[in-house]
Amino acid sequence: MSAGIDWRAMVRHRFFYVPVALAILTAGWNAYVAAYDDGLIEGEVHDAAGKPIPGATVIFFERNFVNYQEKFRATTDAAGRFRFTDMQVHIGQLEARVEDGRRSERFQMNLWFRSQNVQLPPLVLGSPRA
Amino acid sequence: MRRAPTWPRHAIMVAVCTLMLIPFYWVVKTSLTGENIYAYPPRILPQDPHLFSYVDVWYLIPFTRYLLNSLIVTAMAICGNLLFNTAAGYALTKDFPAKRWVILLFLSCMLIPFQATIIPAYLITSWLGVLNTHLGIALPLLSTIICIFVFKASFEAVPKSLIDAARIDGLSEWRIVVRIMLPLSKPAIATNVILTFIWSWNAFMWPLIVTRTADMQTLPLGLARFLSVMENTTGALYAFVVMVLVPGLAIFLMAQKEFIRGLTSGATKG
Repeated sequence: MSAGIDWRAMVRHRFFYVPVALAILTAGWNAYVAAYDDGLIEGEVHDAAGKPIPGATVIFFERNFVNYQEKFRATTDAAGRFRFTDMQVHIGQLEARVEDGRRSERFQMNLWFRSQNVQLPPLVLGSPRA
Repeated sequence: MRRAPTWPRHAIMVAVCTLMLIPFYWVVKTSLTGENIYAYPPRILPQDPHLFSYVDVWYLIPFTRYLLNSLIVTAMAICGNLLFNTAAGYALTKDFPAKRWVILLFLSCMLIPFQATIIPAYLITSWLGVLNTHLGIALPLLSTIICIFVFKASFEAVPKSLIDAARIDGLSEWRIVVRIMLPLSKPAIATNVILTFIWSWNAFMWPLIVTRTADMQTLPLGLARFLSVMENTTGALYAFVVMVLVPGLAIFLMAQKEFIRGLTSGATKG
């Protein structure tokens, strides 16, 4: 009776290649996560005409089980850009406000993993809210 | 003679399969859309599907901890089953005094529901000092009577002459089991693995009783905890259900051929 292991047959077996494929996928995903998990959330604030708004306040709302509460603030630079750093979140909402009372719609942000670096679409200021 | 067309039979099978799969489809659809399951009229196709509910589950609860606990307990149960059921199944193929009574005892034990034996099982686990441990959770599933009979049926199908030849060659009983019986009983092994996996993976009552801390909870307990703690998380809840189901489905799909062969082995003569 031969005691040798048929490696070729073993490699071709579903119970071998399916877990191996899953392990490779998991390793690849983890490598991607490790490369893009600095917690950078970046974007721009525009008015309705597409003009960048410097000095606007961007508020990040963190989810609190049933609602969203204000957690962080950032201010846009001369080019209308804002940036949050070290954000340990995977979900949240962002809203831009300016001193004259104009606000953007709240942007619902869903990320694929916590601390994902993300470039958001522009937050567009609307008319002042009552 | 003209053969009857097969399409009516296939149509009926497709209809039955569709009916069986509808609940599962609904769970997956709800996990992808997060829509209220009581919404009327119900939407058949998912609208704006996304996978963010799965991300939510991953971070809202200690999913990896629950998954690890379930994997450890299931691995222990499978190993225990293969070891003890092989030994018991092989013993039952032998002739020994009161063999019929032992089989009768096994069969009658199958009639007693597990709920009726929970208190003694808990006391034994407590005396062994393995409450709130992986071994304690796996203990009642380390050997199951149905699987013993699956092995018995499979071993009985092996020709006696093969075993006699091995014995003449000087193999011990254990080596006969490991080198001859088990390689010829792959469907029985697959059946054992799948059944134990499903039972252990879905076990709820025993882990609920035997665990005392949250970090020892398994996936079904985590699901109950998720239900009791979270609000307004329809999508996440169903995503969690899918994440609990997927490993069992994957194992079954990978081994369904052996599983069905194992369950039907011994069903026919010859």
